[in-house]
Amino acid sequence: MDLIKAEHKKLWSKKSVQVSVLLCFAYIIIFAGILQYQWFTFGSPKDETSIWGNHFDGYDNIRNHQKYAEQFGNLLTDSSFSDMVSNYQNLSESENDLSDWKVVNTWLQTMYPDLERSDTYKIMMQYVDTNQLTGLYDKRQKAIDDFLESFGTSEKETEYLMSMNNKVNTPFSYVWTEGWMTILGNLQDYGIMIAIVLVICLAPLFSGEWHNRTGAMILSMKNGWKKDAIAKIIVGFSFSAELFFIIAIPSVIVQLIYFGTSGFDMPIQCIKMIAVAPMNMLEAEIYEYAHAFMGIMGFAGLVMLISAFSKSEIASIIAGFALLFIPTIFSEYLPYQFQLFSDLFPLVGNSAIIFRTNTLNIFGKIVWMPYLQLLIPPLFGIISIPFTVKLWSKRLRI
Amino acid sequence: MELSLNNITKKYGDKKVVNNVTTTMTPGVYGLLGANGAGKTTLMRMMTAILEPTSGEILFDKENIMKMGAEYRSILGYLPQDFGYYPNSSAKDFLLYIATLKGIPSKVAKIKAQELLDTIGLSDVANKKIKTYSGGMKQRLGIAQALLNDPQILILDEPTAGLDPKERVKFRNLISSLAQNRIVILSTHIVSDVEAIADKVFLMKYGQFVSEGTIQDLIDEVQGHVWELAINPKEADTWEEKMTVANLRREGNCTILRIISEESPSESAICIPATLEDLYLYHFPMERSKQ
Repeated sequence: MDLIKAEHKKLWSKKSVQVSVLLCFAYIIIFAGILQYQWFTFGSPKDETSIWGNHFDGYDNIRNHQKYAEQFGNLLTDSSFSDMVSNYQNLSESENDLSDWKVVNTWLQTMYPDLERSDTYKIMMQYVDTNQLTGLYDKRQKAIDDFLESFGTSEKETEYLMSMNNKVNTPFSYVWTEGWMTILGNLQDYGIMIAIVLVICLAPLFSGEWHNRTGAMILSMKNGWKKDAIAKIIVGFSFSAELFFIIAIPSVIVQLIYFGTSGFDMPIQCIKMIAVAPMNMLEAEIYEYAHAFMGIMGFAGLVMLISAFSKSEIASIIAGFALLFIPTIFSEYLPYQFQLFSDLFPLVGNSAIIFRTNTLNIFGKIVWMPYLQLLIPPLFGIISIPFTVKLWSKRLRI
Repeated sequence: MELSLNNITKKYGDKKVVNNVTTTMTPGVYGLLGANGAGKTTLMRMMTAILEPTSGEILFDKENIMKMGAEYRSILGYLPQDFGYYPNSSAKDFLLYIATLKGIPSKVAKIKAQELLDTIGLSDVANKKIKTYSGGMKQRLGIAQALLNDPQILILDEPTAGLDPKERVKFRNLISSLAQNRIVILSTHIVSDVEAIADKVFLMKYGQFVSEGTIQDLIDEVQGHVWELAINPKEADTWEEKMTVANLRREGNCTILRIISEESPSESAICIPATLEDLYLYHFPMERSKQ
């Protein structure tokens, strides 16, 4: 325990660690959190040509949005949907920002593609005939069927996905959705941001001992072989978890301050109509945090393996960044099935997968990708542990 | 307590860095003397068990140190040639960290660290960052970390490298005071370091011990091969080219050469008493410039 405490203290006492954690916190919590909510995403528009031109009134503006959406009741039906669209069409230009038009317009595009006109620059919300907006849930079902068919989804997969979709309760509860869309969108980048800090902080964990020329000395000590390697690995994982919670807890607090809990039980279909997962916004948020956490843990294990492999801090940092970005870049050029497998590598897959219909056939059993993206990445970290210990403890035994 | 090296060989590819070294050490100070590249550091790293011999074995009280593992490392103190430290750490924090690596309970470690900081004269700067220390202070800290676990075997690789003469004297005194009931092995290419404190000296060349014994034994080995010769100063260069000249000094109109040679270099040469440095030059004739 003393060794773990000592390694933990040593890691946190590094200037590079303190500065990178602080910058990561400042970026995610202050810039992509507070300033985004208060100013450049949810501040009321002042200068339309720039997001920086918004008023600094996000807190009040969000409440105005939420209040505006309440007038349509809390259920999404044909009637409330038509009301939303017609109400928007009657709003003055200065008022229309209050509506949930970004979200509602995607619903129109998804479910009523036949009503979309190509001869106008206007968005569908502005011109669509509200009398034609009927059979909302049938239209949604048709959109899902069409999508799965165009995607070449097999009968077995379709059956599996439809069994999930059947668990989605209708009619959907509805409150202002754009806030949740932004929150869940932001979360998709948390893993990458934290991983950048992990590379800076953990890549020198073992290789830094050679940089400081302490490697040979440590290896001559009683606990200098396996025990120190294990202590460093425990500290590496615990640091990753600490960093995650340093970001996640304030992030949730900021979210609660700005958005409250309104809409936590709203289905994720309000963000993407053809999603089939029976999840509400709270469950989706928990999934996205868990996805980031598992990816981070898997990635941390691999970074420590690189660190034990290298005797150069710089080389291990470069290799760490390569590990972070190269699989993501390459996966885009892979055939679809290979892409699905590459998404199981830590931090390659995106947590937005819960809105999609991707599945993998594993030994004849169809598994929804979000489950695999949660379970497989940390296995990379776990598997790398014995190799890291072995590499470190045998480093000089040539 | 006995540390035995039995036919130790270390090869890198075809190159034998240490070649069939055999000796036994009991408590005392041992000097490992040799030119750079003689194999001292490789031999010492094998004695610390961080490097495995290609052949042969190192036994501590008849037990193979590679098999003893952590048990052996718990009785070992090691100062590597290029002592590494954490520049932003204070001496006190550094020693406490090393103590945990040595498995010393934290309460004992705090007391021991303070004692050692007093011993090495760093207690007044114990909370300052190591990067602000002079070379001598860092080396003293290196010694302190090696001593934290009160080791039975203390291995110091080039401990006086980079120290000024005053620091070196301090250092030698410190080692002498620590030599009781321990095996202290000290490697250096600076003859005066071992001459002052070593009970036994190993002279290492091309990975082998070319000579070993007490300082007197080794000096006796070269006795009768050290000559003093007065020459015309203009001839000094010629003599330096053809003989191993340990020293030269001006005396009046003459230059007095100290020459290492099997035979008398000249009829006028006088045989004089040898020193350990003469032995070193006897075996490493090209190394005079380092002394």
